[in-house]
Amino acid sequence: MIVRLAAALVAALALAAPAAAACTHPRTSLSYLEGQIMCPTCHTTLDQSDSPAALRIEAEISKRIAQCWTAQQIEAELVQNFGAGILAAPPRKGFDLLAWWLPIAGVVLGAALLGLGVWRWSRGRDGPAPPPEESGLDAESERRLDEALARFE
Amino acid sequence: MGRTLKLSGQAIALALVAGLLGLLVWKLTHQSHPPTIGGPAPAFSLKRIDGGGTVDLASLRGKPVVLNFWASWCVPCKSEAAALEAAYRRYRSQGVVFLGIDYHDVTGDARTFLSRHGVTYTTLQDGSGMVGDRYGLTGVPETYFVDRRGRLVGFHIEGPITDSKLAAEFEQGVEAALSS
Repeated sequence: MIVRLAAALVAALALAAPAAAACTHPRTSLSYLEGQIMCPTCHTTLDQSDSPAALRIEAEISKRIAQCWTAQQIEAELVQNFGAGILAAPPRKGFDLLAWWLPIAGVVLGAALLGLGVWRWSRGRDGPAPPPEESGLDAESERRLDEALARFE
Repeated sequence: MGRTLKLSGQAIALALVAGLLGLLVWKLTHQSHPPTIGGPAPAFSLKRIDGGGTVDLASLRGKPVVLNFWASWCVPCKSEAAALEAAYRRYRSQGVVFLGIDYHDVTGDARTFLSRHGVTYTTLQDGSGMVGDRYGLTGVPETYFVDRRGRLVGFHIEGPITDSKLAAEFEQGVEAALSS
């Protein structure tokens, strides 16, 4: 009996030790990666798709997570398999960096233009009153207009 | 100063509009249209799934080619795998080249599929789906026939060739590729 218990204990330790030692970093999760990876046939992220291709990719991700692969390793393998289009967001390097910086540059430029416009508008309001505009009528016409207007008063 | 600033602003706005219009024109002119039967087969160069280099369609000029797009996650592809393999064995002595193109698939799954279904003809990887899109795929399986001059002939089969109507079209497609 004692021998059996000892054998079971040794077997349990032998099985548990590699599993515990295999993962030296926090495991990534399927739910996280489902939001980062696209379904190639339906062009939505995996978490919004039940297509057969999406389900197979999820199964592959689950397998890699069980093998303690990091999110970066899993993404790299999927990019190698499906191309960069499998990623929901473009990589933050090379030409793809433009996709990250252009919207920020657009917002900054827009804010700057808006600020400039507001500044010019406020300066225009505070400045000296513009001189009265010329009516464009000669003296005789102005006199006749004044007479006509006087009849209405 | 103010006038210069205003003109610069207008120039930037015009440049942005022109750039966006340019992008629109580029997109419209570079859109892939499904190829037509009788026209040239869209070119491609894809990696073999067994890791043995790449295959360029242009290098097969002079041989009739059967192009079958499939994926391991596609149920009808399982049903037609055996029929395709049998057709390959039947026609290979006449010089017909069969190419399986694995579309939007996990490579490991595809290899398991090929092994399980005993597929022996060359299979290529189209993980990004670029070639499939170039052929105007609406799903898998789909089959095309390319004649010796690199033109698409016969039929564009959308569905498994185990279907009786599609099986007849498959035979006619191979014959068209062989005869022209």
